[in-house]
Amino acid sequence: MSKNDNISGRTISEKLALLGELTAWFESDEFSLEQALEKYADAEHLVKEIERELTELRNKVTILDEKFAS
Amino acid sequence: MENLVRLSVSDFIALTNQTLEYAYQSIEIEAEVASFKVNQNKFVFFDLKDEESTVGCFMMVYQLRVPIEDGMKVIVRGTPKLTKWGKFSITVQSVRPSGEGSLKKSYELLKQKLDNEGLFAQERKRTLPLLPSRIAVISSTGAAGYRDFIAILDERWGGIEVMVAHVQVQGEVASDQMIRALRYLNELEVLPEVIVMIRGGGSADDLACFNDEQLVRAVAASRVPVLTGIGHEVDESLVDLVADMRASTPSNAAERLVPDRRDMTERLRQTSGFLHRSLIRSIDELARGNQVKLQDALRHIRQSLDHSQQRLESLQSVMIAYNPQRVLERGYSIVRGEMTAGKIVTIDTATHHITAEVHNVEKR
Repeated sequence: MSKNDNISGRTISEKLALLGELTAWFESDEFSLEQALEKYADAEHLVKEIERELTELRNKVTILDEKFAS
Repeated sequence: MENLVRLSVSDFIALTNQTLEYAYQSIEIEAEVASFKVNQNKFVFFDLKDEESTVGCFMMVYQLRVPIEDGMKVIVRGTPKLTKWGKFSITVQSVRPSGEGSLKKSYELLKQKLDNEGLFAQERKRTLPLLPSRIAVISSTGAAGYRDFIAILDERWGGIEVMVAHVQVQGEVASDQMIRALRYLNELEVLPEVIVMIRGGGSADDLACFNDEQLVRAVAASRVPVLTGIGHEVDESLVDLVADMRASTPSNAAERLVPDRRDMTERLRQTSGFLHRSLIRSIDELARGNQVKLQDALRHIRQSLDHSQQRLESLQSVMIAYNPQRVLERGYSIVRGEMTAGKIVTIDTATHHITAEVHNVEKR
């Protein structure tokens, strides 16, 4: 994933999972400085995006039309 | 002459039942249960009695929603009826325990029965999703508990689609409404990820609908995990026990359902800090590695230079040692020319160049 990839369609849960993967990569044996800069930029982009969503997102409450009285 | 109506027995019974039905469409009687029995696992018979009177009652087993036994005080709703055998009884529509003692007794009996069936077993409990995006709530939208739940949910997290099944959460019809809501939600094409059952605090009688056997079984049968937030912390219902997760209050249900966005923001900042430190550390390590390599190279060059210098000095010493001038300085001289008497030769000493004639040559 690079920050240019479209992540806007993903849920906050998916974004958090992606961030978790990136963080794990930094702690893994696959870590290399060549890729680290790009991955760090991706992670920072995700962090900002999730923070923004956490601030802006509202729940959508719908009262069902269905009547449950007999 | 008196205008008397002559009836058959069947007509008399039918007329009496019609009159009773007209006079008492539905009545409630509060009394003590006696002679309780179940026949053929289908038909329930018992008497209601007080200090002076007794009346028989009949109902079907499936209508019995809570356990009843002799001595228990109950409230019966039903219709008075004269049977074709001429026996007067109450055809019961519903029966529920009355008073704290009976409610507790009925609760304990049903709890034991369902526990024996394994409905409360820990192995049945399912894990709730960490971050649900689609949930359903079964509650009364006018209740304070529902408002608390929604307020805390909104405060803590966002982006959740919340479907609300508005039902009564107390009284005789509440259990059936909640059962219908559970069935409806379990039959949706796209299932919610969690069903939350919410009700604020109330008396034992108010919360009694959450101890209904059929409701407990409906919660146990739900395909969707169920979270309950019923009453206050001290209240425990059978629906709480059978649910996949029990919260102590409606507000606590919201807290257990979603993380707090403020905690999450803090964690995100910590993650960001960790990544930044990792990157800087890696760059530092690389720089340190390069510096070590550079120093190694420098040391190697220095060693090579030192070696060359030593070799040069050694060669210089040899050269100096072999310098003819040094030999001449030690008193020697170089004679050039033919060593024959009468011939002219040249002699080089350290300080002079001499031309001389050979007078005599003898072998040594």
